[in-house]
Amino acid sequence: MSRFARPHWVEKMSSGMAKPLIGEISAALDTLAATGVAGAIDLSGLPLTATDRAELEVALGSGEVEAKVTAAGTSEIRETGFAGVWWVRHFDAGGRVLAEILEIAFVPQLLGAQGDDIDAAARRLRTELARTPERETGRETVHAD
Amino acid sequence: MQIDETTPNAARSAASGDDRTLGALLAARGVSRRAFLKYSSYLASLLALPASMAPAMAASLAKAQRQSVIWLSFQECTGCTESLTRSLSPTLDDLIFDFISLDYHHTLQAASGHAAEEARMQAMEAHKGKYIVAVDGSVPVKDGGIYSTIAGMSNLDILEETTKDAFAVVAIGSCAAFGGLPLADPNPTGAVPVTELVTDKPVINIPGCPPIPEAMAAVLAHVLTFGILPELDSLGRPKSFYGESVHDRCYRRPFYDRGEFAESFDDEGAKKGWCLYKLGCKGPATSNACATVKWNGGTSFPIEAGHPCLGCSEPGFWDMGGFYRALSVPTGDVARIAAVAAGAGVVAGAAAGALHRATKSAARGKHHTVTVEELEEK
Ligand code: SF4
Repeated sequence: MSRFARPHWVEKMSSGMAKPLIGEISAALDTLAATGVAGAIDLSGLPLTATDRAELEVALGSGEVEAKVTAAGTSEIRETGFAGVWWVRHFDAGGRVLAEILEIAFVPQLLGAQGDDIDAAARRLRTELARTPERETGRETVHAD
Repeated sequence: MQIDETTPNAARSAASGDDRTLGALLAARGVSRRAFLKYSSYLASLLALPASMAPAMAASLAKAQRQSVIWLSFQECTGCTESLTRSLSPTLDDLIFDFISLDYHHTLQAASGHAAEEARMQAMEAHKGKYIVAVDGSVPVKDGGIYSTIAGMSNLDILEETTKDAFAVVAIGSCAAFGGLPLADPNPTGAVPVTELVTDKPVINIPGCPPIPEAMAAVLAHVLTFGILPELDSLGRPKSFYGESVHDRCYRRPFYDRGEFAESFDDEGAKKGWCLYKLGCKGPATSNACATVKWNGGTSFPIEAGHPCLGCSEPGFWDMGGFYRALSVPTGDVARIAAVAAGAGVVAGAAAGALHRATKSAARGKHHTVTVEELEEK
């Protein structure tokens, strides 16, 4: 998954990077619990080996939520075994991982509807509602035929 | 202003009073704010910015207006344009084309002749002080600049005229950034890089032959999002892409550190994927993100395909004394420290890279080439 391709024997090595990362996640989780301030760690910029990644995945485990977002390609959001720690992966059309982020938040940013999108949706729904009577009339006409 | 099909986007927007934000423009095309947020996460990752900045970046991007870009092509091969337009995947990366208004570009614009030049003038007028000039290719200055002209004007004159009211200039590719192939010895046209000519505007160098498309796109997106230029190194290159050498991030690095080198392109070492240093790899002296961002939608990069790095994003790479010769280094301390570094791992290896960089211009002058054995003997 990493952007850093390495020979197989290197991928089998553990660089020990999982442990300090877990320390960082733990500090961010403490902050979230105490202050409500969310944090994020960009995994795509780190030279993790496959073994480092596996160690991190095993340590974090899996939680109760899995979600797929389709916006400019797909994104996968998984809650880890630690509430508030989310594993977010953004893919391109060919399935390549473009960015991989650990979000420490109540709800991952991408999952929540965005304010401007909600405004637009509300406008659209009002317009739809305004059109509804015409449609019903149309349907009745079809029934009558 | 009369608007017709030859009027560039930016001038068209300005003339029609369309000052909608990117958020509004793209929402009309069904691009949600979530897509902005996702793009911003990707951008933050590319630019090595904290991932937690993504929401603020998305909000800022949505409020921005399309960035007018005037693209000038001088002594070049169009490979840079090919790189930017063909290599991005058709989802997230190519959103950059929605964020910018490419108001003038020889190869891509529909207009030609007078209409094309008129488009350039209109964009300059409509976005005075705000437009970005992207330049690919070097500028010939010998004999009054007659070796490359467009619409009867020398490249030098067009560059001067167009950058006059620009916000910033982006030198795309090694020819624009450092002179590239046209400047190679004996430089018959008197080619010079853009940085030597444009001294009154900020110039960002994005070298490479061609440059990594993500680097070009991310720099434009950075300006749009923050309204300022990204952090640059001493050669004017964005640090987020050129902050480390190819060697620092190369997956063959463990072989280099263990002294396991391919001696020819088809020997056992080459088949086992050993380090390509002895086959002329310039990775230790080349600052670029090829080993991490990679090419063709993240497929691979030259070293992964078994070919040494040519050092195409470094100044003077054509005159480095042979693509397939081991790095030229002067004798003495450098050789000793490089040999120590070879055995000491990443940090010392980076020091060797820095030394290679610091001394290679001297070596280039002497054209003194040493092998790894010679280097280790010293
Ligand atoms: S010398 Fe070249 S092939 Fe060898 S590790 Fe460095 S960049 Fe990779």
